[in-house]
Amino acid sequence: MANVTFPFPFPEHLITLLPEMIVAVMAMALLLIDVFITKGSKTTAYLAILTTIIAAAATVSIQSSEVLVAFYGMFVFDPFAAFSKLLIYAGTAFGMILSLEYMKKEVNMGEYYILMLFAMLGMMLMVSANNFIVMYLGLELMALSVYVLVAYQRDVLRSNEAALKYFILGALSSGMLLYGITFLYGVTGSFNFAEMGVALQNTDSNSHAAVMLGLVFLFAGLGFKVSMAPFHMWTPDAYEGAPTPVTAFMSVAPKVAGFAILMRIVADLLPAVQHEYETILSILAVLTIITGNLAAIAQRNIKRMLAYSTIGHVGFIMMGLIAGTAEGFAGILIYMSIYLVMTMGVFAIIILMRRDGIQGELLDDFAGLSKVRPGYALAMGLLMFSMAGIPFLGGFWAKYAVFMAAVEAGHLKLVLFALLFSAIGVFYYLRVVKYIYFDDVRVEFNFVESRPIQATVIAAAIGVVVIGVYPGPLMTLCRQALGGLI
Amino acid sequence: MELHNVLDFPILSLSIFLPLAGALVIWLFVRGDNAVRWAALVVSVISFLVTLPLALSFDTGTSHMQFEEFHPWIAAFNINYQLGVDGISMPFILLTSLLTIICIVSAWQCIQTRVKEYMIAFLVLETTLIGVFAALDAVLFYFFWEALLIPMYLIIGIWGGKNRVYATLKFFLYTLAGSVLMLIALLAMYFKAGNTFSMLAFMDYPFDLSWQIWIFIAFFIAFAVKVPMWPVHTWLPDAHTEAPTAGSVILAGILLKMGAYGFLRFSLPMLPDASQYFVPFMVALSLVAIIYISLVAMMQTDMKRLIAYSSIAHMGFVTLGTFMFTQAAVEGAVIGMISHGFVAAALFLCVGVMYDRLHTREIGDYGGVVNVMPVFAAVMLFFCMANVALPGASAFVGEIMVLIGTFEANPVYMDVSTKWIAIAATSSVVLSACYTLWMYKRVVMGDLVKDSVKSMKDMTVREFGFFVPLMALTLWMGFYPMPFLDFLHVSVSHLIDQATTSKLDAAAALVQAMPVLDAAHH
Repeated sequence: MANVTFPFPFPEHLITLLPEMIVAVMAMALLLIDVFITKGSKTTAYLAILTTIIAAAATVSIQSSEVLVAFYGMFVFDPFAAFSKLLIYAGTAFGMILSLEYMKKEVNMGEYYILMLFAMLGMMLMVSANNFIVMYLGLELMALSVYVLVAYQRDVLRSNEAALKYFILGALSSGMLLYGITFLYGVTGSFNFAEMGVALQNTDSNSHAAVMLGLVFLFAGLGFKVSMAPFHMWTPDAYEGAPTPVTAFMSVAPKVAGFAILMRIVADLLPAVQHEYETILSILAVLTIITGNLAAIAQRNIKRMLAYSTIGHVGFIMMGLIAGTAEGFAGILIYMSIYLVMTMGVFAIIILMRRDGIQGELLDDFAGLSKVRPGYALAMGLLMFSMAGIPFLGGFWAKYAVFMAAVEAGHLKLVLFALLFSAIGVFYYLRVVKYIYFDDVRVEFNFVESRPIQATVIAAAIGVVVIGVYPGPLMTLCRQALGGLI
Repeated sequence: MELHNVLDFPILSLSIFLPLAGALVIWLFVRGDNAVRWAALVVSVISFLVTLPLALSFDTGTSHMQFEEFHPWIAAFNINYQLGVDGISMPFILLTSLLTIICIVSAWQCIQTRVKEYMIAFLVLETTLIGVFAALDAVLFYFFWEALLIPMYLIIGIWGGKNRVYATLKFFLYTLAGSVLMLIALLAMYFKAGNTFSMLAFMDYPFDLSWQIWIFIAFFIAFAVKVPMWPVHTWLPDAHTEAPTAGSVILAGILLKMGAYGFLRFSLPMLPDASQYFVPFMVALSLVAIIYISLVAMMQTDMKRLIAYSSIAHMGFVTLGTFMFTQAAVEGAVIGMISHGFVAAALFLCVGVMYDRLHTREIGDYGGVVNVMPVFAAVMLFFCMANVALPGASAFVGEIMVLIGTFEANPVYMDVSTKWIAIAATSSVVLSACYTLWMYKRVVMGDLVKDSVKSMKDMTVREFGFFVPLMALTLWMGFYPMPFLDFLHVSVSHLIDQATTSKLDAAAALVQAMPVLDAAHH
């Protein structure tokens, strides 16, 4: 147990929820504080960023190699949850930093940051859930907050349309998820992952159909949240319609939470039905990889392109899930960490490119960037090559880690397929580099000058190079983070 | 682990990273186009001088890797920073550092936009190329192998010709698609050979035949695209045509050799049985490259395209020699690669010299150049003759050795006598003379009729300057190849030992021993 002592009586097991409590209290307090803050001030934003930092500090301080359990096993705190939460804090904090300038121009309301905090709280619950009920609570808290965030520009038609699509499809997927859970509950008689895992090992062949149905609906519901094809339809619209910082936020943090819960389910619940879930996930992975990498080629809008690129990455990340081994899970964490760095950098550049009135988001808008701002061009070039998975940049090791795990688990053909599609996918990343470096300026640039966002770009560019050249420490960290899961 | 390094100094690391460090310094501190040019020249010259000890201190009496370095890099996957060279890889490192100097000098005037980025791209490219030839860890090798696509993509795409975007995308995607198969082969070998990526361990591990065949196919696709072999060669003429002069020099001089080097370093020693098995296939593709591609070269109207096809034909000789498993043929293949590095590089520079004056590469736009540029005409004649493999030029040594080696060879899986192969390959002597000399005749000789050609000025001292070392080396290697061959003898004979010793018995023994080992374990 951690060395945190409290001056007042404190139920011992509640300490595992310390980060969640901090975030919940701060978010609710901010709702009140926000009323007294003058419009146009960034105080709420800074307080929200501070909250993520405090939550991170709390998470690190109760870091422990043992598995801590609360509420009769419904809630766990283990190194795996801690690491996933740190990624979620980072994704949220960067999303808030990217919002600083953007939101001033669009809409200036404190709820924006508070909604982000609530979404983050939902994700924190998800990664610590050891029980389908807790997981569902977290998932819905996250989803509802993100729906509102997507619709945040109330007077923009595109934003409203995106949010409505996202909401309707999201509600449907939640329904499917619940439906799947009821099947599994019917077979096992429990909501607790570990207990269900044991029960599944002892089920007879009569309940096989129910288990299969449950699994299919479960993966359909969770697959929606992480944008697996064919449940990805909402992704491009929501990415395009949402305010750009929200797009940045929702392309990382919810994916981390979604994959964290998927990993926990695969590790605890499904060893007994390994063959079945491998089959389901392999089909989904193949579809996801094809959809992401091919559809991205046809996009002219960089946010839509990145939406499909995310889908492609999700397909690659699923390789780690299919492997289902410690190597595979470590690979997912490595992939997620590197993906976080790359995505934040890319979106930071998109936000900096924003022009008065028009948002810098068509691919054409990047034409000739290297002649005007060689620094941004270099950063964007590095990030694109990294996303493409070319060595000496971080993205290579992300792919390497999950593919290696899948090869070890014997999925050679699947990896071959994924690698070929990753080579096809390189095309659309190279096209961005082409616009930046090979083309002449077409439209006058008008950059947003913002120190925190520029710092994010620099940090991301340096990050992918450093991880690319010396990935050892990150890999070790991600392996250590598996404690509690395996 | 004992490291063989007579210098007790990480000279390979220095050779690899000095250009990169120089590029960083130029990026951060050097301002002004001229200052950048001089700085890049200084960096490349120092880098060349740093690689010289590799040849001077080289021990020609051992087949062991030399100048070795070993540091753990990514412990989680047992990936190590392992470097070392033998007689096969060392010459390519020197060739790289030499050609980089020439590339930088050749760009002195013709590159006027984004000079700084250009120089940085070439220095970074040098780092990755030397890294490829020095790496002894498969992932490190792959790391450099793929990383070099980035500077090359930018070089063709930014400073290339009209159709550069198409050419550079094609180049990138072709080679990348090939390389991913190599990656998956390497991952599979890692688990098979007992969780190691050491290339030396791969050479020792007895893979059984079906494994060898699958891995050979994966490697073949990766390396054949790079060589390039028919029918995956189509990216090369486009890339060469659109690349700036120096880009073509590096492409022809070094990049093409990486594929053949891959066959020598990976396929032959690691997969000897599969290599034997695929001899007829490799021979057939090599002959197609030699004969068919030579005919294609003859019909080109663009000089750079013609030389690009000529390069493919010459690389056909290299792959033929590689898969003959005789001392003379393999040594001839390596000599042929180095010689081609001088000659093709020089021919591209010749085209560059003309292009800088007239801004066209079409053969039809020239004619009678000798009247206005006599010195240049002499230089170009020299390299055209070298390209034809006239005795006295380096290319002759390589081709004759490959042909002799082919006559002697006795491949296991082949019914046809190799003398017929040698005879077919000899047709290249005639064909290469046809396309090279015909081009020379149309461009340089004849009457001076075109006004544009009349205004051409002869070469400057700087331009003449970068041909001198290439001429000297071509003649040296042509008349007295012994110093070059000395580097090769022991390493090549060791390679042939590896490539002709079947791993199948050991693989079978390993399978037999498995239950025994398991039992002993319990």
